[in-house]
Order: sequence, then structure tokens, then C-alpha cells
Amino acid sequence: MQYKILTVKANELRELESADKWEVQLRKGCLELAILAALWGGKLYGLEILRRLESDSDLIVSEGTVYPLLSRLKALGLVRSEWVESDAGHPRKYYALTPAGKKRALEMAGIWTRFSSSMDQLLAPLGKGK
Amino acid sequence: MTTAGNAQQRIDDYLNRLRGGLRGLRPEEIREIAEELRSHILDKAATDGEVTAAGVDAALAALGTPEELASQYVTDAMLARAEVSRSPVGILKSLFRWGSLSVAGFFVLLVSVIGYGTGISFFLVALLKPFHPDTAGLWIWRNGGDITYSVRLGFGPVPAGARELLGWTIVPIGFSVGFGLVMLTTHFALWCVRQYRRSRALPRG
Repeated sequence: MQYKILTVKANELRELESADKWEVQLRKGCLELAILAALWGGKLYGLEILRRLESDSDLIVSEGTVYPLLSRLKALGLVRSEWVESDAGHPRKYYALTPAGKKRALEMAGIWTRFSSSMDQLLAPLGKGK
Repeated sequence: MTTAGNAQQRIDDYLNRLRGGLRGLRPEEIREIAEELRSHILDKAATDGEVTAAGVDAALAALGTPEELASQYVTDAMLARAEVSRSPVGILKSLFRWGSLSVAGFFVLLVSVIGYGTGISFFLVALLKPFHPDTAGLWIWRNGGDITYSVRLGFGPVPAGARELLGWTIVPIGFSVGFGLVMLTTHFALWCVRQYRRSRALPRG
């Protein structure tokens, strides 16, 4: 009997881990779009981008991930950067979308909207079953 | 904003270790990365205008170890260069860097070197066939019990008993197969690079 209980718990744990992994993959896929969207309203520095992601979305991203990703987006020509003096006594590196970055953000947002609305239709029966 | 002496020392130590891991990037890139992270740490660690050692420790912990962070910067820079370059030379340079960092990178490098090598061989044999009409081409011969196929550029003698398979049709076939293999290898390498990049974006929580 004890063995059976342990097996059931192990299966439940595996299902939870599998759901967690799926959620992590889903979040990973959104990160680039989220950063481009955060910059849509104007230039921001790294910490502001992180705070924007935390406050306006469920995407809580590690700081060690965002900075290299910003460098890569810059290398790809999707964002540009400039150093601006601040009241804090040290300069801050601000990022802004380039025309290519704006185009990429609009394309990704369009794909996202179409995909999420088709998924909403598919998932509607699951909501009624709750 | 004021910064406690030991807090400043902790930031400098972290950034020195980070710079050590960023070797391979351009000096101005390394300088810019270090200055951006210094700015981030000072902003994150400041409480009521003062940067404390405890605040700096928390900010550094949130960034992860300098070695891990440097590795992510280097890999991301290498991947971005590969995506932007799209030329076999640019892609191979990035793959050499990736191959030195991970087994997956080494595998992709190996497949790409074989793909580009074979593609370029076909391309060259098509190009050299008019200059070496009797020796350049796709050859087949028996080596003991084994059958050996070889794309020969036409330099040196043909092995005894070897027979040419395609004749002058190697010219259009060589150009087509060579071009196709180079394109296919480029797509394969860029696809692997994109998959790897996606797998490295690590959201917290």
C-alpha cells in the first residue's frame, strides 16, 4: 500500500514538473517580444526594463539573462543604445527601438495576437468545464 | 549617492572576474558591458542614496556568478554574429567559439565543417573539370573488398583501376550539389544556433 501511495505521489510530482517546464518554455519564447514591447513607449535603461517586465507582465526574468539579451538585440540591429548622465552620479545605458526593431515588434505582436485568439477559441470549452 | 569602500571593492572584484570571462569580445564591448553592469549594481544596491556592502552583495547575487554571466554574454554575442553574418566563414568562426564551449556546439561545428567541406569540394571539382578533363570528377574504384568513391579535383594521378562516374555532367551537378550543400549547411547551423539561443534564455521563477 505504501509503495502505491509513493508511486501516485511520484506521478503527481512528474506531472507538476512537466507543467512547470512547459511554462518555462512558454516564458522563454516570449522574452524577446516582451523586451521589444517594453521599449515601445520610449527609451529605458536595463533596470527599468526589468521593472517594466515585472510590473506589466508575469515575466519575472533573471537579471543575468536580460543584459546579454539586450546586447544581442543591439548586435542584431533591433535596438540602439546611448549613455545618459543621471542624478544618481553615474551614467546609465538607455536602449531604444530602431526602425528594424519596431518592425520586428509589430510582426511578433501580430503573430502573438493571431495565435492567442485561436488558442482562446480552442480553450473556451475548458473554461466552461471548470 | 555615496558608496562604502568595501562595497566598491566588491563591485570591482566582480567586474574583474567578469572581464576575465569576456576574453574574445572586442575591448570596447568588454568596457561597455562592465560599465553597464556597474551602473546596474549601483542603482540596485542604493538605499536612500547610499550604496551599502549588503546591497551590493544582493545585487551581485541576483546577477549570478561573473563566470556564468560572461559565458552568456560571449555565447549571445557569438550567436548574434552568426545570425547577422550568414556567410560560411562568419558562421564557422562563431561555431568554433561555440564548439569550444559545449558538446552541442562541437557537434554542430563538426557537421557544419563536413557539410561546407563536401559542398566546396563539389563546387571546386565542377570549376576545375575544364582544366583537368581526364582526372577531375567523381571516381569509383575497388580497394581490396571495399568500394571507394572519391571527388577528385584532378591534381595527381588517378588510382589504378578507377572509373569516372559522371563525366562532363559533373560540371552542372557539382555546381548544383555544391551550392545546395552550402545553403543546407548554413540553414542547419543557423537553426541550431537559434534553438540553442532559445534554450539559454532563463527566466526566473
